[in-house]
Amino acid sequence: MPMHWERITVFCFFASYAMALLLEVAQFLYRSRTIRLAAVGFTVAGLVAHTGYLVARSQQAELPPLLASTHDWFLVLAWLTVALQLGLQVWNLEFSLGLFVLPLALALVSASQFVRNSPNPRLGTLRHWSMAHASLWVLGIGGVALALVTALMYLVQHNRLRHKQAEVRGLHLFSLERLNRMNWWLIVTSVPLLTLGMASGLWMTYLARDSAHPVNLASLDFIANALMWLMMAMLCGWLLTTRRPAGKIVAWRTVLACSFLLAVLVIMKILSTDGIHSG
Amino acid sequence: MTASPLTLTIDSAPEMNLQVVYCNHQTADLAIRERLAFSTEETLMRAYDALRERFPNSEHVVISTCNRVEIYAAQEDALDAPSRGQLASFFAEFHKVPLQDFFSDLLEESGPAAVRHLFEVASSIDSMVLGETQIVSQVKQAYELATRTEANGPLTNSLFQRALLVSSRVRTETKLVEGRISIASVAVGEFAKSIFDRFDDKTVLVLGAGEMATETLRYLKDEGVRRIVICNRSMERAMPLAAEFGGEPRPWSDLELLLPEADVIVGTTGASEPVVQAELFRKVRKQTGAKPVFILDLGAPRDFAPAIGQIDDSVFLYDIDDLEATCDKNRRLRTREVEKARAIISEETDRFMQDVYHKATGPIIKRLREHWHEISRQELELLYRKLPHLAGEDRDAIERTIQRIVNKLLHPPLETLRVEAKEGTPHGLLDAIKRLFHLKD
Repeated sequence: MPMHWERITVFCFFASYAMALLLEVAQFLYRSRTIRLAAVGFTVAGLVAHTGYLVARSQQAELPPLLASTHDWFLVLAWLTVALQLGLQVWNLEFSLGLFVLPLALALVSASQFVRNSPNPRLGTLRHWSMAHASLWVLGIGGVALALVTALMYLVQHNRLRHKQAEVRGLHLFSLERLNRMNWWLIVTSVPLLTLGMASGLWMTYLARDSAHPVNLASLDFIANALMWLMMAMLCGWLLTTRRPAGKIVAWRTVLACSFLLAVLVIMKILSTDGIHSG
Repeated sequence: MTASPLTLTIDSAPEMNLQVVYCNHQTADLAIRERLAFSTEETLMRAYDALRERFPNSEHVVISTCNRVEIYAAQEDALDAPSRGQLASFFAEFHKVPLQDFFSDLLEESGPAAVRHLFEVASSIDSMVLGETQIVSQVKQAYELATRTEANGPLTNSLFQRALLVSSRVRTETKLVEGRISIASVAVGEFAKSIFDRFDDKTVLVLGAGEMATETLRYLKDEGVRRIVICNRSMERAMPLAAEFGGEPRPWSDLELLLPEADVIVGTTGASEPVVQAELFRKVRKQTGAKPVFILDLGAPRDFAPAIGQIDDSVFLYDIDDLEATCDKNRRLRTREVEKARAIISEETDRFMQDVYHKATGPIIKRLREHWHEISRQELELLYRKLPHLAGEDRDAIERTIQRIVNKLLHPPLETLRVEAKEGTPHGLLDAIKRLFHLKD
């Protein structure tokens, strides 16, 4: 089976996720367990193809997927979000998680098409540090992406409850209490990961100071990453120091901070040709 | 009841002898239904004895709930069928209620219409709350009690067993039971559970001790609520409710102390003006911060000033009108499913009637088949005596040929019977076959 993985294209899992999302949307018209199962089935199929694609790419580049290229790094991020969605979906099939997670996964897969497709030439002797740096960032950004999803769910659920409307057919969400708790934990765990990611990046910059490709800390890329980290650190600090913050305010601030972070990240990766992660 | 339903239809009954005489929430007021109800098992057993005495050749099953009183009767002979008047007299004499007080409220159905009626009752199409599930167990209990007292018989047995299957099919194939339609269930199921993840760490404060409070507490208790505080002006009324749900009765003077502790507040006081004003609740929110609070105002007039809902985004205030809108929406969704349920019931009624008619033709078919095979067996014996030299294989071949001939000859009349039985018991055809082939009962 693995020998055929090199034949898998990005389109294979993109189409599977898109089909799963379409079936999730179809639940608004006709709520059915069969449709939900079919949506989960397409998501699983997409995830299998996604895994196969990453494995094949990794074998070709002879590098772990996280280091193979920015393209692969984005796909690992998308893979993480879908895998977590499926994990939660298996626990309770009734929740409409796909409606929120799949658009994000599709956006990340789409974005992966517009970023660097070759390994970072700076890897060289810093391979282990690079691996730690990329892993910490991907987990941190994954947490941020999921915090954005839970915050959006919170706002939808809150809006329904404040307007005293019954649950919409096909849109079954977690309770506000749970969404708030999930959001809190995602932010509080993502920020240390991002901090460690930043620290490992700075350390690598120091180590590479005399190499053929030294990193310029005054580059736009570095400043943008530092700003993103700072924004999340401020959100995390506010969450930890405020006594019982209102759930809706937490959700709004999370949406703003996380969408800013993700948007900047994607834009920087697409535009950056000579940034800190390129040659 | 020892006779089988087969002899019932072949030999005597011109039609399927099944009747139901009933009154329900659509035909009779609660005052009448209460007087005609068989409220305890003991009363019902006495009723079965009385029915047996009056109509000894009839099977009976009685369904008695707060919304309906129904007597189903079935007999072998149409002449034994009790009329609506006779059953009305039975009601009057058993309950000592003047006949004229309720006679016009009693309805009667017979044959397929009676079958359809029971299927509709068991599927909760006929219920006051469309799609309620309690009726299924009530029908089941009625049938079980009739079985225990040997008041039922073969026809009512198959009828009630089929009714329970039909009810299950309607529930599975339609969305008749989906969506909550009572105020308390909507409040807890559609809203409270969307706010809170768990209830075992929440405090529920009930203001007043009305009936709605009891129903709401039942739902909350099912969700795992542990701490319940009943705050009422009359401690005498608060104490039984608190005892029923393992709660804590508190005097009305403690209200301001209790409000900040509560996560869920249920108002059912029935006071003429709001008992919790916005100003008081603003003070409460200053103490509690932005913790979510679910306020269920079931009072009419309202117990909470509407402005409370606007104090901050974590206050979720719902009054009866807010909840009633969701109940209505769910009811409308259920109503759309009624047509589907009726189609299933029609199909099942036809199928049940066909089964009954088929059973009626069974004995004739059996006797005809036995008669012809007996003739062939006798003829074969004569043949073997004349031809003793025939080997075992030859005899087997001859027997198989004869059987095939008999079966081929039987096929056209039996097929005609089967087709005719789809429309009803083919009494004329059965009679003709009996006479043509000298079949005795």
